[in-house]
Amino acid sequence: MTTIRRFCCNDLLRFTPVNFDHLTETFNMSFYMTYMARWPDYFHVAEGPGNRIMGYIMGKVEGQGESWHGHVTAVTVAPEYRRQKLAKKLMNLLEDISDKIDKAYFVDLFVRASNIPAIKMYEKLGYVIYRRVLRYYSGEEDGLDMRKALSRDVEKKSIIPLKRPVTPDELEYD
Amino acid sequence: MASRFGMAAGIPERRIRPIWEAVDSRQFKNALKLTTALLTKYPNSPYVMSLKALIMERMGKPEEALSLCLNAKEGLSSDNAVLSDDHTLSTIQTVCQRLGRLDIATSCYEYACGKVSNNLELMMGLFNCYVRERSFVKQQQTAIKMYKLGGEERFLLWAVCSIQLQVFCGTGIGGEKLLLLAEGLLKKHIASHSLHEPEALLVYISVMEQQAKYNNALQILSGELGSLLVIEVDRLRIQGRLLARACDYPAAAEIFKKVLESCPDDWECFLDYIGCLLEDDSRWCGGTVDKQIHPLKFVDCKLSHLSEEVFDLRISEALCFVQKLHSETDAEFIRCPYLANLEIERRKRLYGKGEDKLMEAFLNYFSRFGHLGCFTSDVEMFLQVLTNNEELELIGKLIRINASQSNVPVKALEGLITISKIQEWFGNMFKLPLDGLEETNVRRAELYCQNLSLSKDLDPQETMHGEELLCMACNVLVQLFWRTRQLGYLLEAIMVLEFGLSIRRFIWQYKILLVHLYSHFSAFPLAYEWYKALDIKNILLETVSHHIVPQMLLSPLWVDLSDLLKGYLSFMDEHFAESADLTFLAYRHRNYSKVIEFVQFKDQLQHSHQYLMARLESPILQLKQKANNIEEVECVLDSLNSGIQLLELSSEESCKSLTFNDDMQSRPWWTPTPDINYLLGPFDENAVCGLRENSSQQEQTKKREANARKVIERRSLLPRLIHLSIQCASLLKDNAEANDTLSDGKNLELKALLERYARSIGFPFSDAVDVIVGISSGQVSFEILGSDVIDWMNFAVFLNAWKLGSHEPSLPDGDGCKPGSWHIVDRVIEKYTQEQLRNMQPVISSPGIDLTVLVQIVSEPLAWHSLVIQSCVRTSPPSGKKKKKSEPADQLSAPLIQAISSSIQSSCGTIGGIIKLLEEQINHPEDDKLDTLLSPLQRAGCTQGPGQIIQILEATSSSAGLGSDRISEAMRSWSAVDVARKIIAAQKTTLSEFHPTPVKRLCKTHN
Repeated sequence: MTTIRRFCCNDLLRFTPVNFDHLTETFNMSFYMTYMARWPDYFHVAEGPGNRIMGYIMGKVEGQGESWHGHVTAVTVAPEYRRQKLAKKLMNLLEDISDKIDKAYFVDLFVRASNIPAIKMYEKLGYVIYRRVLRYYSGEEDGLDMRKALSRDVEKKSIIPLKRPVTPDELEYD
Repeated sequence: MASRFGMAAGIPERRIRPIWEAVDSRQFKNALKLTTALLTKYPNSPYVMSLKALIMERMGKPEEALSLCLNAKEGLSSDNAVLSDDHTLSTIQTVCQRLGRLDIATSCYEYACGKVSNNLELMMGLFNCYVRERSFVKQQQTAIKMYKLGGEERFLLWAVCSIQLQVFCGTGIGGEKLLLLAEGLLKKHIASHSLHEPEALLVYISVMEQQAKYNNALQILSGELGSLLVIEVDRLRIQGRLLARACDYPAAAEIFKKVLESCPDDWECFLDYIGCLLEDDSRWCGGTVDKQIHPLKFVDCKLSHLSEEVFDLRISEALCFVQKLHSETDAEFIRCPYLANLEIERRKRLYGKGEDKLMEAFLNYFSRFGHLGCFTSDVEMFLQVLTNNEELELIGKLIRINASQSNVPVKALEGLITISKIQEWFGNMFKLPLDGLEETNVRRAELYCQNLSLSKDLDPQETMHGEELLCMACNVLVQLFWRTRQLGYLLEAIMVLEFGLSIRRFIWQYKILLVHLYSHFSAFPLAYEWYKALDIKNILLETVSHHIVPQMLLSPLWVDLSDLLKGYLSFMDEHFAESADLTFLAYRHRNYSKVIEFVQFKDQLQHSHQYLMARLESPILQLKQKANNIEEVECVLDSLNSGIQLLELSSEESCKSLTFNDDMQSRPWWTPTPDINYLLGPFDENAVCGLRENSSQQEQTKKREANARKVIERRSLLPRLIHLSIQCASLLKDNAEANDTLSDGKNLELKALLERYARSIGFPFSDAVDVIVGISSGQVSFEILGSDVIDWMNFAVFLNAWKLGSHEPSLPDGDGCKPGSWHIVDRVIEKYTQEQLRNMQPVISSPGIDLTVLVQIVSEPLAWHSLVIQSCVRTSPPSGKKKKKSEPADQLSAPLIQAISSSIQSSCGTIGGIIKLLEEQINHPEDDKLDTLLSPLQRAGCTQGPGQIIQILEATSSSAGLGSDRISEAMRSWSAVDVARKIIAAQKTTLSEFHPTPVKRLCKTHN
């Protein structure tokens, strides 16, 4: 029972139960609004009966040449709507837009190296660990940069894992 | 970054770069040094001046910054070369924005655009200035000028958006003409250039839709331009909406059918489909589909217009289609086609068809999705149409289905939880006898404990199975407390939640319940601690603060309250400051629909009732904190323009357009809004029955909103009333003829405000005076004042201040020398406080005790009265030399001195009584308190009354023995005694923080 539509400002006043979850970051306003102003097609919300927010995904498209890619900034599902493959649905939507509308080469995302359940989920969705980013999270925990190649990257070059970890200042994008 | 450097206004990059680097790394002193040096070389450079202004502003010197900005602006007119590069202007703009002087930046850009024609960069800068100023008309004019330069699509759309904003946010006058203009502009452009952006097409359609030209919009969509929308279903959805708005329901239903065929789980689309099929305009007649932030869960529908035959036909068509969806979608998690059956049956029932299959649809939905956490919220709107007998029947059948399906333990547990949640939703728990209620609760606690092992291997971050059971147990325990008034139940509710949090500390539902339980138990520091543990920040401050701020406003924890208010206000103000730039970002990235959304969202937040309240309460808190020193109070009042600033906040217009953005859904059952706390009154099953029904929720919301408007008006008057009271009291001298005019003016204004204040409590002024006089003489009981008692005392205080300078006859029990009103204030405060003190039990044994009333008496009426007294006794001889502050005014008449003196005595007496009560409780031995808390729970082997749930949890914890898993370890670390000690400590802090200092100085003076 999922109506997926563009995320709008009023959803910020309605996503409270989703963001109560301790693993869901509540960013500052300019962060959300910049995403809405620049990449509205990458910011979607899933709504259930009673206009309840089930979860949402925010992302962007960026890069140059063969690094032109979709990026998942955050994806979250409220606990009562978990185990219904909603995250998969939202991820597929973002991948579709990156692939078909923006013709990107791949989609990537960052995840805490300790967040095993999330890593497993992304692997199920076809993502591979491309590289490890040392002390990516607040200078403490390592992050994993995971990628999934899209149809434009015919040879799947974008997802060949790097052999060594990188540091945050070596990253091409924030 | 690069744009900031280069040959900025003729100054080489190597001189400018270090300055910006110093600014970016916040080394403002260094930046200032470099800029000052540069200024000696380029003394007339507006750019260097603007840089210096920027640095001064960052260093907290706004006046210098402003003067430099004005100099830079002057410089612009003598240096045309500077105008054509944007460095100077954008720097001036940045400083002016931070200084709140947008007008200076705008006039700079206006001047530049006038001097340098056809410079797009500058015109965009000017457009941005108008976005910041919300000057939609000027935005439109500037955008049109830019459009005329090169015929660029984006500038035309900027103009169209600016026109739409005039219509959306304006008075509504001339809207039709404006939209016609927008339409004309677009048509002309399309004829010569077509459109190239999907967002442009969406704007075009919305302009047509705003004019109700649905058929024209449909033509546009089905024409060539329609291909701009690449995703087919997006186009279909718009098509369906337009058809429905045009009342072409059969065609709309067909389109929504198509959407459902490719998105079978889209519930909103199903509602659109069934609505159109049944020719029901409820979803379309309101203009936009969903304007409310928290829309009601019930789906409105109109059915009576269809003949039975047509209705039957359409329903069977819908059933057929849903059946097709069932057969075509085999995915396990597609819920919509199954819930669709429930909606169809609900419509049948509402139409009055006798033989609906609602029950069957419920059971089918449960068999398939009963184990999902969202089951109850999915079916909420259908539960509302069941009769009481059906409710019972449903529960019985669900239990049987769950038992027959329970092969997998997790699913069986989840099914049981769903059934319990439905029972809770029906309010069944409030109808059970006490022993039945306890029995159910024991079973739930046992179920929780028995199933803990299911979660043993889960990651600690993951939600555990059965967590909801402890919320339900807590809900029942609170109800038992309400019904029996036995302290043990309330304590047990707290213990249960603390137990749950020691096993997994991330459960926000437990934390929210604890925030409210600890607040109710006068353990404010613990309530605040758990609130902080929720990590509420950014926009959640707007939606979640209602869980803590209303209680903290009444508590003595002023430092924490001040932090809360400051944090919230700075978040909101920061957003307001940056919102226009984000709107401009949407313009630049051609996401025009977001432009309108952002502007409307800013309005939504700016009219937030909570924002208005925080803006009022924050300075009122400062006044409370400083009330023992009149000079400091006067400083605070000066910063508020003597209270006028706050008075303006509550204008009729701003009160009318108040918004309520807070998320009430997460509040506990016993306090569904901040104004309601059922636990304060006797048990009343009817009060809570149907609590979740839409009608009662609507009523509650209405009441809350009406009350909020009144409270805002009342509170906004307070600082001005204090200011005028101090003024009237200070002009009170026997030889004050010289001040007569001034005095009369103040006095008239004070009276006018008192009349408004009285109205906001619900009485005409003269009646309010009669009530206060009646209460002081004992002829009227305090009960008449209801929950506004503090406001009434404030009224008495300001009434007295007004009387001091008034030429009107004294109040009835006066002796002609005006001290009658002093006596009234003293009597009202004294009597009420004594009554409270007489009935007051120690906080440790009396949850819900009104300690906060005492806090308010001291921090408001007594404090404001002390200011009036301070003002009276403060004398300033004509020479301007100050006398000793403690010396009473020699110009006051003897009866007045006598009245003031006895008023001081009365205040001291009141304070003395409160201090005595506080000290008794603070100094009471901790072991006794511990015994009071724990003894009701320590009843080994008890089979009724409080303590049973704790026993089950403790037994589970001890049987966890030496188990090394995470859960066993966590259980062993939990101790009921520790929780009790925490409560005692928190209550002690609350009592100690309550220092009735405002009148201490007065007492000293008197002594």
